[in-house]
Amino acid sequence: MSRLRAQGLTLAYEDRTVVSDLDLAVPDGRVTVIVGPNACGKSTTLRALGRLLRPRSGSVLLDGTELAKIPTKRIARSIGLLPQSPVAPEAITVADLVSRGRQPHQRWWQQWSEEDERAVRDAMARTDVTALADRSVDELSGGQRQRVWIAMALAQETDLLLLDEPTTFLDIAHQVEVLDLVRRLNHEQGRTVVIVLHDLNQAARYADHLVAMKAGRVVAEGPPADVVTAELVREVFGLESIVVPDPVTGSPLVVPGAPYGPRRAAEDEDAEDAEDAEDPIRT
Amino acid sequence: MTGDGMTGDGVTRDGAIRDGAVRDGVTQDGATRNGSTRSGAAQDGSMRDGAGARLRPAGYGRLRLGRATFLLHRRAAVVAGAFALLLAAVCVAYLSVGESFVAPAEVLKVLTGRPSPDELVVGTLRLPRMVVGLLVGLAFGVAGALIQTVARNPLASPDVIGISQGAGALTVGAMTFGVTSYAVLPYVSVAGGLLAAALVYAFAWRGGLHATRFVLIGIGFAIALRSLITLFLTKGDYLVAQQAQVWMTGSLNGRGWDEAGPLGLVLLVLLPLVLWAAYAQRTVSMDDDTATGLGVRLGRVRLGLVLAGVVLASVATGAAGPVDFVALLAPQIARRVTRTAQIPLLCSALLGAVIVVLGDLLARKLLAPTELPVGVLTAAVGAPYLIWLIVRGRTGRPGDAGTGSAKGRGRGRGKGRSDGVGTSAGAGAGSGPVAATGAGVGAGAGVGGKG
Repeated sequence: MSRLRAQGLTLAYEDRTVVSDLDLAVPDGRVTVIVGPNACGKSTTLRALGRLLRPRSGSVLLDGTELAKIPTKRIARSIGLLPQSPVAPEAITVADLVSRGRQPHQRWWQQWSEEDERAVRDAMARTDVTALADRSVDELSGGQRQRVWIAMALAQETDLLLLDEPTTFLDIAHQVEVLDLVRRLNHEQGRTVVIVLHDLNQAARYADHLVAMKAGRVVAEGPPADVVTAELVREVFGLESIVVPDPVTGSPLVVPGAPYGPRRAAEDEDAEDAEDAEDPIRT
Repeated sequence: MTGDGMTGDGVTRDGAIRDGAVRDGVTQDGATRNGSTRSGAAQDGSMRDGAGARLRPAGYGRLRLGRATFLLHRRAAVVAGAFALLLAAVCVAYLSVGESFVAPAEVLKVLTGRPSPDELVVGTLRLPRMVVGLLVGLAFGVAGALIQTVARNPLASPDVIGISQGAGALTVGAMTFGVTSYAVLPYVSVAGGLLAAALVYAFAWRGGLHATRFVLIGIGFAIALRSLITLFLTKGDYLVAQQAQVWMTGSLNGRGWDEAGPLGLVLLVLLPLVLWAAYAQRTVSMDDDTATGLGVRLGRVRLGLVLAGVVLASVATGAAGPVDFVALLAPQIARRVTRTAQIPLLCSALLGAVIVVLGDLLARKLLAPTELPVGVLTAAVGAPYLIWLIVRGRTGRPGDAGTGSAKGRGRGRGKGRSDGVGTSAGAGAGSGPVAATGAGVGAGAGVGGKG
């Protein structure tokens, strides 16, 4: 079942078409990861799924209704999203920022309810930022800040959560931390999560459903074990590699071909020699 | 090493997380974090003491009025109280000081309607002018706060983005062509301000309002309109030019109940809108994508905020002329004092009033008997304080903001959207208007495709 789906989606920035005729169904209660090389349109697709970008043609459907026809505040009660580089107001505290996730459930004359309080507290506990509540967001580390933003999206209490490259600019420990958190949220609460990542190995580790994109089209989709193959890596990223089982999780692990060094230099030379040797025959 | 270490999934993962926690410098946090990670107990007892009784985000108080609930930033409320007291003191001083000194006790007598020998000096001569100054200050304070919020740029006050210049150009134009009655001119001025704002808004609109475009186009209009004013001044009669020049600096000389009435009415009518604006600011102060994700109709909300700001600024300009810098200074000072994430409207309004009333007091008294226009002194009253606040507040923040803007620009995604990011990050550097324009212009120029 899919509450959120895209049909014949064509997306463009002014006159440059980024995604053309894309069909996508986001499986409910699973973690879907969209991967692809830079500029393949994966973030653009996510933006359209979160109604940040109006489709040039085609549509995004939430429960069968076009997003464009649903009031944006109502969408915000079903879809939470975290943009790639969100900007917090200067000097805002962690608790204040997280509490702004309650916006879609409030009115200007009903600014804070018991329900808001519970949701914010719950979101902060789940992301382990409770102890940071009174700190200023500016003074947090990258990993902490990302957890705070995720807490804000959680406080929104939506069934669907869209995350645009949540691990960019984080070191590897924080990347793992954030992705673990997202998976935990999915497992404990059954939330549907869509994440855009550019690291194929992370995608293979954390996805239930993997969508590989290239040049604005879906090249392959399905469980990582079926999707991630040496041929796919060659086709999507243009990279020679070997795919082996991950020693920890058993999911596919992409190991790129040998880096440039003495051994490859020698191989390249051999290849050139071979070509040279062939030359006389051709002439 | 690899084989054994890697098989224990939990060991590696927990190790990594603990390292992360140590590096973050969260000392007491590490243990609880891992504990809750492993058990998955989310609503555990790691909440702080007294958290159970709290029904609001930290730093806020909750105000209940029947079914309605409002959030009040506690520090902002305290600061607003202090500003109100300061304003009261400045007002009493204003009424006391003049060609003849009236004791504050007598001033209070007049204000409370009790008979006093100083009724004429205080109640008839000084009070009306002070009330106009007060209302002008309130209006400029709120107008600046609203427009700066929408533009996410401290430079974007009505006297920078062309609204005051629009009011000025039309007024001076009218004067040049023979309309010199002070009964008509304020309305001409309001029309000029609204017209200029509408033009700036229309030109800045491209499928949405982009903060940087808005400011840059506003500055362009301001420059063009200023040339137009100069043109009118050189073309017009000498006496008219002199009258216009005084008006252009912003003066409360000769203002009274006639100006105060309409101004007070506009403020009263816009009060509910300002209440709504204070709430809308909570989301508009974030980046476009996040705000949209939270279900905010950015286009409409921004239009509403700008409209309220422009009407207030135009009406105030109509009453007293373009009193420079109040709308720019008051919101920035207020925000730095309250340390809120958005510009506090009430504090900004009160501070605007303090600046104008105090400025006019000094303008009357400093070179007495010669009277200066209030606009000359409003900057002198507020600017040193703002500069001091900025210099004092520069502790390790520019670096942070720098990364933010680099991210926004480096990714160059979403076209014009990224320039909003750049601007607010630039403003976030807290290093003043110059830095903010730098970031804004840079981001505006760097509207590239996704690389």
